[in-house]
Amino acid sequence: MTATLTDRYISATVRTLPQDAQADVRAELSASIADDIEARLDQGEVRQDAERAVLTALGDPDVLAASYADRPLQLIGPRYYLTWWRLLKLLWAIVPVTAVVGVLIAQLIADAPIAETIGTLVSVAIGTIVHVGFWTTLVFIILERTGADTGERWTLDALPDPQETGAGRGDLIASLAFLGLAAGALLWDRSIGFVLVAENGVDIGVGLGSQTTAMPVLNAELWPWWLGGMLILIAFEAALAIAVYARHGWNTGFAWLNTALAIVFSTVILHLLITSQLFNPEFVDYTLDRGDVPPEVGRILAILLGAGVVGVSAWNAIDGWLKSRRSVAH
Amino acid sequence: MNGRDDFDPQLLELRRGTIVLACLHLLRHAGYGYGLLEDLARHGFAADANTLYPLLRRLEKQGYLTSEWNTEETRPRKFYLTSASGLRLADTLTTEWAALTGAIASLTHGRTE
Repeated sequence: MTATLTDRYISATVRTLPQDAQADVRAELSASIADDIEARLDQGEVRQDAERAVLTALGDPDVLAASYADRPLQLIGPRYYLTWWRLLKLLWAIVPVTAVVGVLIAQLIADAPIAETIGTLVSVAIGTIVHVGFWTTLVFIILERTGADTGERWTLDALPDPQETGAGRGDLIASLAFLGLAAGALLWDRSIGFVLVAENGVDIGVGLGSQTTAMPVLNAELWPWWLGGMLILIAFEAALAIAVYARHGWNTGFAWLNTALAIVFSTVILHLLITSQLFNPEFVDYTLDRGDVPPEVGRILAILLGAGVVGVSAWNAIDGWLKSRRSVAH
Repeated sequence: MNGRDDFDPQLLELRRGTIVLACLHLLRHAGYGYGLLEDLARHGFAADANTLYPLLRRLEKQGYLTSEWNTEETRPRKFYLTSASGLRLADTLTTEWAALTGAIASLTHGRTE
C-alpha cells in the first residue's frame, strides 16, 4: 500500500524534530489531521479534497517543524544582526586593504612580473573579502542557533563622538607647523646637509662640526626645479589649510584640491625614486655601497619608501573626502 | 484607499498573544488540538492550526499546560489541561487585558466628549 498524503506530510514534518519528540508529534498531528478531515467529511466534502485542503492549510512542513522545535527561520536575527554588521564592516575595512598592501610589497620585492602581481592582488582582494564575509557570518549563524551571548550591551558610552571637522584652530596650527618643518628640512638639506660624515672616528673632546662634513640626503640636481616645485606644493598645502580654517570646514572643492595635491606629490616622489634621482648619489654610496650591504637592500628600501609615500598620500586624500562629507552632514 | 487588507498586519499584531490567553482559559477543562481549534473559532478567536499545535506544545514545555494521552476512544488524542502556573498566568493576562480595555475606552471616550 502506498503512503497517503497525510503520512507523507507527517513524516516530512517530524523528520527534523528531536528524536524524543518525533513519536509524540507524529501521533498528535495525525489525530489532529484526522479530526479535521472528519469534520470536513461531515460537511459533505469528498475525502480526497478534504485531505488536500487540510494539509494545504497546515502549510510547508519544514515551517511547521521549525515552529514545533522553536527553530529560527532566519540566518541572523535581530538579536545579532547589528553586532554582525558592525563587526563585518570593521573587518572589511581593515583586512582586505592590509592583505593587498602586504602582498603588493612582497610581490614588488620579489620583482614578480606585473601581470602576475596584478592577478595576485585581485585574487587576494576578492579572496579576503569573501573569506572575511563567510567566516564572520558563519560564526553568527552558529551564535543565532546556540543562543550564546555576544556580551555586547549598548550604553551611552557607545554614542559616536562628535566628529572632528578638521577645521579647528588646532588643525590649522598642526598643519602649518608640519608644513613649515618640511619646508625647513628641504632647505636645510639643500644648504647644509642632514648627514654628518666623519672621516675617522669621532673624538668626543672636539666639537662635532669641526671633524665632520655635512652631506645632503637629497640629490643636489633637484635644485632648483624639483625642489622649487616641492616648496610650491607645500605652499599650496598651507594655503589649503588656511582656507579650510577660514571657511570653517572642508567642502568638495577642498577635497578635490587636496586629492590633486596628494597625487602630484606622490607621483613626483615615485618618479624621482624610480629614476634614481631622489637621493644624493654620494649619500647612497656612503650608506648602501659599503661592500657589506646586499645589493637588494637598496631596491627593497626604495619599494617600502614608495609604498609608504603612496599610502600616506592616499590616506591624506581619503581623509579630506571624509572630512568634507562630515561637514556636509553637520 | 485603505481596504481591510491594508489593516491586516496591524490586526494580526494586536491579536498576537490573545490566543495564548484564550487557550489558558479554555483548557481549564481538558481539550485536544482540533477540538480546541473549533472552540477558539466558536468564541471568535481566529487561530490557524499550524500556529496552535506548536503553541500548545510550547506552553506545555513552559509548564503552563499539562498533557495526557487519552486512548479510551477510537482515536487516541493528546489532552491538555491548564496547570496551576498556567492559571496564574491567565489571571495576570486577563487583568492586563482588562486594564488595556479601560485604557482604550478612556481614549475613545475622551475623543467623543
